Amino acid sequence: MHPFSYTRVSNVREALDAGSRGGRYIAGGTTLVDLMRETVETPETIVDISALPLGDITATAGGGIRIGALVPMAVATADPKLNSLFPVAAQALRGASAQLRNMATIGGNIMQRTRCTYFRDVTADCNKREPGSGCAALGGYNRGHAILGGSDQCVAVHASDFAVALSALEASVHLQAPDGRNRRLPFADFLLRPGSTPHREQAIRQGELITSVEIPAYPRPLKSAYLKLRDRQSYSFGLASAAVALHVRGGVIREAKVAAGGVATVPWKLSAVERALVGERPSDRLWAEAARHAADGARPLQHNRFKVELLKRTVERQLRTVGEME
Amino acid sequence: MSPQPQSAVGAPLSRVDGRLKVTGKAEYAAEHDIKGAVHAVIVDASIGRGRIRSIDTRAAEKHAGVLRVIHHRNAPKLPYRDNPGSNNPTGRRLRVFQDDLVLFHGQPVAVVVATTLEAAQHGASLVKVAYNAEQPSTDISKAEPGAPVPYARGDAEAGLRSSAVRLDLTYALARNHHNPMEPHATVARWDGDRLTVWDKTQWIVGTHDEIAAVFDLPSDAVRVINPFVGGGFGSGLRCWPHTIVAALAARVTRRPVKLVLSRKQMYFGTGFRPAYAYRLRLGSDRRGRLNAAIHDFDAETSSYETFFEAAGAPGQMLYSMPNVSQAYRQVPLDVNTPIWMRGPGFATGSYVIESALDELAHELGIDPIELRRRNEPEEDPSNDLPFSTRRLRECYTVGAREFGWDRRSQQPRARREGDWLIGMGMAAGVYHSGSNAAQARVRLDADGTALVETASSDMGPGTYTSQTQVAADALGLTMRAVTFRLGDSLYPPTPPHGGSQTMASVGSAVLDGCDQVRRQAIELAVGDEESPLYGVNADDVVVRNGRLHVQGTPARGETYKSLLARNGRSHLEARGSYAGPAQPERHSISAYNATFAEVAVDATLGLVRVRRMLGVYDAGRIISPKLAESQAIGGIVGGIGQALLEHTVTDHRDGRIVNASLADYLVPVNADVPEVGVIYLDGDDPDGNALGVKGLGEVVLVGVAPAIANAVFNATGRRVRELPITAEALL
Repeated sequence: MHPFSYTRVSNVREALDAGSRGGRYIAGGTTLVDLMRETVETPETIVDISALPLGDITATAGGGIRIGALVPMAVATADPKLNSLFPVAAQALRGASAQLRNMATIGGNIMQRTRCTYFRDVTADCNKREPGSGCAALGGYNRGHAILGGSDQCVAVHASDFAVALSALEASVHLQAPDGRNRRLPFADFLLRPGSTPHREQAIRQGELITSVEIPAYPRPLKSAYLKLRDRQSYSFGLASAAVALHVRGGVIREAKVAAGGVATVPWKLSAVERALVGERPSDRLWAEAARHAADGARPLQHNRFKVELLKRTVERQLRTVGEME
Repeated sequence: MSPQPQSAVGAPLSRVDGRLKVTGKAEYAAEHDIKGAVHAVIVDASIGRGRIRSIDTRAAEKHAGVLRVIHHRNAPKLPYRDNPGSNNPTGRRLRVFQDDLVLFHGQPVAVVVATTLEAAQHGASLVKVAYNAEQPSTDISKAEPGAPVPYARGDAEAGLRSSAVRLDLTYALARNHHNPMEPHATVARWDGDRLTVWDKTQWIVGTHDEIAAVFDLPSDAVRVINPFVGGGFGSGLRCWPHTIVAALAARVTRRPVKLVLSRKQMYFGTGFRPAYAYRLRLGSDRRGRLNAAIHDFDAETSSYETFFEAAGAPGQMLYSMPNVSQAYRQVPLDVNTPIWMRGPGFATGSYVIESALDELAHELGIDPIELRRRNEPEEDPSNDLPFSTRRLRECYTVGAREFGWDRRSQQPRARREGDWLIGMGMAAGVYHSGSNAAQARVRLDADGTALVETASSDMGPGTYTSQTQVAADALGLTMRAVTFRLGDSLYPPTPPHGGSQTMASVGSAVLDGCDQVRRQAIELAVGDEESPLYGVNADDVVVRNGRLHVQGTPARGETYKSLLARNGRSHLEARGSYAGPAQPERHSISAYNATFAEVAVDATLGLVRVRRMLGVYDAGRIISPKLAESQAIGGIVGGIGQALLEHTVTDHRDGRIVNASLADYLVPVNADVPEVGVIYLDGDDPDGNALGVKGLGEVVLVGVAPAIANAVFNATGRRVRELPITAEALL
């Protein structure tokens, strides 16, 4: 661990001041501290924001929900409003271990960095960690890497399950800038694909602070659920996952919100799958046909070819599961 | 002497050291608080093969708290005397900081010593090493194997040709790492020319002797201490380079030094179960009588040492067949040297044989248990010795009944529950019952308590508890009246705490020592005119609860306490010993099991869930049933890992281990472990040792992986001949 200084702030103003001077925000620390220990991250100043008043979960008009950035994952997972409105989001949060859920916050969750083992090994080449050094994963062991959204610079998977649900539900992120101005960013624009700048992971500006994430209102009833496949049954990142939400009225799918995780550099919104569902009547054939589009555009690597088929099957399974829910 | 009543042996007792462990008072290697200790952190080679061109230590040396950076340019030359009788494999062991060669990725190239751990860690990150890198060879499938270690009986080629049914199967087993919870750690302190080392080890004597050899010290100048081991599974069976680094750093800095391997360093700083490529050709008649087997298997070893394990043993003795040949080839690679891991060799060989037998049973339409019964040998086919005890048939019978084997369909894919296909599988397991010479010191004090000391270890099986049980019964004392100590080279020598030999070896020495002390007491009493036992035949006296009395006449007797007090004796003492197994061997002695698995497979999504496991064991007498059950559960959990999860991944481009962390190298978590049943057959084995034990720490893992693989086939009809079985193999 490199030497660093630590500041604890007690209000948003102080946080923004410290952030604008280059401080790195820390709350639960479940990503940052790990990476500092491995010397992957070497911030000079960390700014502890865990005392800020960003810990509320509030219902919004019309049936959406707003979750403060500092709400612990464990609290959000157990929240009755989130569970009744968006089970898919509550379930996705449960993809993490209990220890992580207790420490990690909602804001930190969507800021978490990749589990790519080359990224986490400072002796390996990694464009994300050290721009221009190369990508060891492309020609290395890449079973866990992305088949979608990658570039010739980076194929690291975004590890958050919760972000997959946020992507499916077209959530947005509320940010506050050091000059005090607030802005709201669609979640789809918040996380960045690697392209030629894999070290840029979020569309967040120097010193900007996440204050909350908001899931919009949907017509009701909305059936939703999350499926995560992994090598072992707990304490493991996903091989493939699917977040599905369906609004069915009069025997016809009126709204379909679908995203996949574990397979892409950012949570992967499956718009083609959604289009194939809307206006159709639920049936096993429909699930299969819609899921055929799940891996469109996939560019598999040496060790992750199986994910192309696995992704389609995961999406099909979860469409059926949600479609058959009462 | 009259046989002692057995009240502790065989009783399901809890660990005598359990309270120390759960209250954090058991001191593991890194926890010994040695006054003035400074911290050492190793700098690992970041190439897989080559030479060190230069080392720039200036930045590290300038960092506050850093005392010294030691590397091959400034380290003292070490004698590295030969160490015959050690666990070092054939070859030339790695010599730390003695030259500029890099033999594998992660090899220690320097060590930073600092006043704090943080300063040492940061200092290590500031050391700049430049290399002349060469392309390492780390891929077993692409490297040149060494000369085969052969085995043959009969004419396997001809036997195979003449067999009505022939199978030709190729298996691959991944490299596995032990991953004990406790990291390997060493604290080293020199007092003049004397060295004391607190070191995580499964062999106090071995570590002691290796340190004495490396530094060319007289035996009595070295002391090794390690009262608690936080899991080992074999990783502590030899003295590793970091232990030498710690002692070297302590000598150079003239300060006690603490060195703890990081979890990542555990993947190249200690050994591993090597990867194998294994081809088995099997011939039988139409009724399933085996006729011939040809085993060709290649295993990883390092470029500097030739690691051997008994991977061929199960193929030589598990089933009756006239014609067997084996070629075991070690493949030298630019990796660190492997080491035995739970069920070493046997777990590998048994996986292949038991998987192949399941294929043969399916091919012939014979129940897998029936097929094994048809090939059950009457004597050991590898050496023609009679078995001491071999109760595999009973294991099959009991296991089949308790597991509900009759509910298994012969046809795969016959049982479905929703998206899940359900299957059952079984396998036999075997592990030879080894033992080696051991000694124990036993002292009975005037207060009626006893102290037993051996240099042995307790990596988790419960040595403290089970040896106390043996001693308590042999001395006729309660468990509370006996203190058992281990983990110090000042105590009498014992063999490696591995290979399931501790009870047979150390237990026999403890029993002998306690028997001697009891006999001393009895003889003192029967020759003492003031004793109620005066004149009684010594053979008629037993001891219970610290009281000697005539067998069958409890009223006539007296306590150790009164006997010793009256005779003015402060204590009685003996050195117990066990000489090792009879030579030449008169029996083939092994522990056996039948292991059963039920799995659910979501074949669409490639998920395998183990639903139930049952192990039935023929392991001789069970000294400590509660701990034996824990051992079996642990072995089965390890086997689930080997079957479905565990896989050390090497990037062959530069030899780095890609998944050197517990987040990326997966072992089973609680959610992966189902209901586990454990049955030990009653009885003992009279031929191996006085305790009648056959060892159980290894055999409980052997057979688990093939039972699961066979269940996966029964569920899905898909034969996966590669471990671990992961989603991609099942899609």
